[in-house]
Amino acid sequence: MSVDTLQRILYVEDDADIRKIVSMSLEMVGEYTVAACGSCADALRVVDDFAPDLLLLDVMMPDVDGPATLRQLRKRESAANAPAVFITAKVQAGDMAHYRQLGVLDVIVKPFDPMVLPARVGEIWHRNRGGDHDDAG
Amino acid sequence: MTTPDELVAIELERLSANFVEQLPGQVRAVEDDVAAWLGAPRDAGRYEIVSHRVHQLKGSGSTFGCPGISRAARKLERHIRTYRSAIDAGRLPAAAAVESALAQLQNEAARVQTLSRGPEAGA
Repeated sequence: MSVDTLQRILYVEDDADIRKIVSMSLEMVGEYTVAACGSCADALRVVDDFAPDLLLLDVMMPDVDGPATLRQLRKRESAANAPAVFITAKVQAGDMAHYRQLGVLDVIVKPFDPMVLPARVGEIWHRNRGGDHDDAG
Repeated sequence: MTTPDELVAIELERLSANFVEQLPGQVRAVEDDVAAWLGAPRDAGRYEIVSHRVHQLKGSGSTFGCPGISRAARKLERHIRTYRSAIDAGRLPAAAAVESALAQLQNEAARVQTLSRGPEAGA
């Protein structure tokens, strides 16, 4: 599914405190609708009902990491074409090329200011859409 | 009326205080994980555990107002990776660099704790 306006973000992050502040910021500051999940398994449980516009995934998670989570989500029709953004504290040479091959739009590097994250996500979304960034995010 | 930005800032402040409160336990867990891994450095599971915990500390430190913790964790993560690469290459290197980076993380955590208790605590 392709949409022009970013509304629904499926966010996967194993750190509960980071997950909480990022979700809160995306919802309250960015005015997005967010499904926050602690693991790939959680994400797979909600993705079909949630039908995300964008996938926002932490890279380094135990058990199933961000790239593997993305591959799992891509198998679902509800997320097969949803753009993805990775969040990570570590981007090494060559990582970005690998992520691009997975269809990742961009990488947000930790640490980040939770207050400005919605704007950053919105900017990535609009850049990908080739449009101006004119919404709350 | 409280704005959304203010509500998020209040929650960020609360989570930052939680982070500092839980920091000693987090660092003790890192110490335990490092010791367990150095005791069996070819154990991939122990490597995953220690590297994930240190990586998480690196990511959350600055987000919750402790950039020194992020820096110390980044350094420890780098030395853990270097040590792991040497192990993978068939060598058994000295663990001094890992232990030194861990000590720096412990010192930074102690400094953060002292600061959090106010000026009297450091007197």
